[in-house]
Amino acid sequence: MTAVQSPRPTYAGLPGRTLLRLGPASVQVRRRAVLVAAVTAVLLAAAVVLSLSLGTPYVAPADVLRSLSGAGTPYDLVVRDLRLPRIVLAAVAGAAFGIAGTLIQSVARNPLASPDVIGITQGAGLAATIAITTGAAAVVVAPAALVGGLGAALLLLVLGARHGLAAQRFVLAGVAVAFALRALTEVVMLSADPIDGLRAQIWLIGTLAGRGWSETLWIALTLAALLPVLAWAGWALNGTALDDDTARGIGLRPVARRVGLAATGVVVAATVTAQVGAVDFVALVAPQVARRLVRAERPPLVCAALVGALLLVLADLAGRRLFAPTQLPAGVLTAAIGGPYLMFLLVRRRRRSA
Amino acid sequence: MNRTPDTRGAMLSTRDLTVGYDERTVLDSLDVDLPADAFTVIVGPNACGKSTLLRTMARLLAPRHGTVLLDGTAIRDLPTREVARRLGVLPQSPLVPEGVTVADLVGRGRQPYQRWWRQWSEQDSAAVDRAMAQADVAGLADRPVDTLSGGQRQRVWIAMTLAQDTEALLLDEPTTFLDLAHQVEVLDLLHRLRAERGRTVVAVLHDLNQAARYADHLIAMREGRVVAAGPPREILTADLVRDVFGLDCVVVPCPVTGAPLVVPGLTAPSLARRAGTVDAAPPVDAAPGVDSAPGAGSAPGVADPARPAPADPTVPAVRPHADDAGDPRVGSYPSKGH
Repeated sequence: MTAVQSPRPTYAGLPGRTLLRLGPASVQVRRRAVLVAAVTAVLLAAAVVLSLSLGTPYVAPADVLRSLSGAGTPYDLVVRDLRLPRIVLAAVAGAAFGIAGTLIQSVARNPLASPDVIGITQGAGLAATIAITTGAAAVVVAPAALVGGLGAALLLLVLGARHGLAAQRFVLAGVAVAFALRALTEVVMLSADPIDGLRAQIWLIGTLAGRGWSETLWIALTLAALLPVLAWAGWALNGTALDDDTARGIGLRPVARRVGLAATGVVVAATVTAQVGAVDFVALVAPQVARRLVRAERPPLVCAALVGALLLVLADLAGRRLFAPTQLPAGVLTAAIGGPYLMFLLVRRRRRSA
Repeated sequence: MNRTPDTRGAMLSTRDLTVGYDERTVLDSLDVDLPADAFTVIVGPNACGKSTLLRTMARLLAPRHGTVLLDGTAIRDLPTREVARRLGVLPQSPLVPEGVTVADLVGRGRQPYQRWWRQWSEQDSAAVDRAMAQADVAGLADRPVDTLSGGQRQRVWIAMTLAQDTEALLLDEPTTFLDLAHQVEVLDLLHRLRAERGRTVVAVLHDLNQAARYADHLIAMREGRVVAAGPPREILTADLVRDVFGLDCVVVPCPVTGAPLVVPGLTAPSLARRAGTVDAAPPVDAAPGVDSAPGAGSAPGVADPARPAPADPTVPAVRPHADDAGDPRVGSYPSKGH
């Protein structure tokens, strides 16, 4: 694929974008988005190396790189076997959260919407809690959480579908679903054996500790399988910011489009939550950070994914090192960042609408 | 009023169209024909169903029964993408996506020609350039739409529908919320599209005088029915205004365009004095327009309140009908039912 500046003097594609062409196919790319993606990717690489190097024992970044290149160093066990799986998982899960958040926020037309606000995470949490407290085998927990998340989404679609999944109702229905599921989870936890309740509690907070390649594999496989859908979604998101009448006027089918995008976001969110637990706020924050960096009305999926990956890698690193030797789950850190951010958004929106 | 039962010459038609919300029936068995290559304006009191008619014709609302015909084909049998290539729609108050730039928004009008794997073409660039030039927003291309004034914003939305390259354009109250100068600006633009580009334009308007000034074809609605349809000079009379709006008025020729100008009658006696312009104001009980069809055979100027203007028949600077041969300043406005 080659970048072609149009022979037309005015512009190829829209201002600030470059047109990529291959035969009859053409894709418009925001140049600022490319810049943001490149910078975020470099920062992500740096964060990964830093995270691999910090800890007990400390491994110099040069040794980290040598170990990664397969040169065979005394640090291979620490770097490649102990730290790398968990850090790669953080990056992949963060990326998936970023994608899911972008899809759901665009459908809801609301920066406050995300899988952990509209009940997907709570559905997964309830199912996981039931699985843990009923003494099911550990391997059952993740599939149960996946089913729980999808079930919550189904409930949400049924509640919202009557009104064409209209933005406002979608969010309200989601918040209601989230509260109801959360309450049910508490009931299950309180009526369970305290030890099991504690294990469920840890799952609910969301952590990357003790997790690695197999979780990464599940998330990566899901994303890979959804790749054609995500390619469509990246384009389809353009229409979601328009109101339904305007969208119909330009030949879109807004309801079908919203259902498709929401379903994609939900599958990604439920998959990643099932694997790493309820790591809150990454899906909420990453799309908004990416959107502001790109200065567009919506974040490109790739940028949101990279920002999400960076956020979760940093959150995991902070959780490991900030109060060392005490280890905090990544979910605690993301919540600590996300809470104030949410308040900031609320205050800002109120000021705007005033 | 429906002189052509077949749809020849009509770009958009409705047949037996019934539309309602929940319990309420808004339009009942409506047959309407909108002529091609004309500027049609739909007027009527609030809640008369004019927006509902426009929205149904634009397939934004589904009728209970009956059909909307686009060039003789039922619109519901056409793929929405194809309809969008033939029919542009501007809803009443479209939502501006946060932070979107003018060129971006205008580019959305190319949606019906694009696919996710074919996102931009030379034709897209050309159409967007052309649309922005026509709507006079090319200089704003990189500005965020939410920083623009109301008039500019409305021109941007019109540019988006122009980029769709459709034969017809449907607009729901495109001048609402605009000040007078911006209203004229938008209506002039629509007029030029009809006169110079041969587009079929259909708009719902609130202002009768603007409707009369710009429309080739006027449709007056009341309670979900069409009361009269035709060229404004033929159908816009004091009787019609009374029938449709329940308001007594005088209809005189506009001093600038010669189109019918609707002036409300003396609804409050004290208004006459305050105006101070008419020394020989008729006594209150003979207020102009009340119980009189002032158009009937009278020359302009006889109808009282508009006296100063027609006395000075300056050459009209703008005429809505380029093809209108007759002298617009002379003529009578017969009662309806001609």
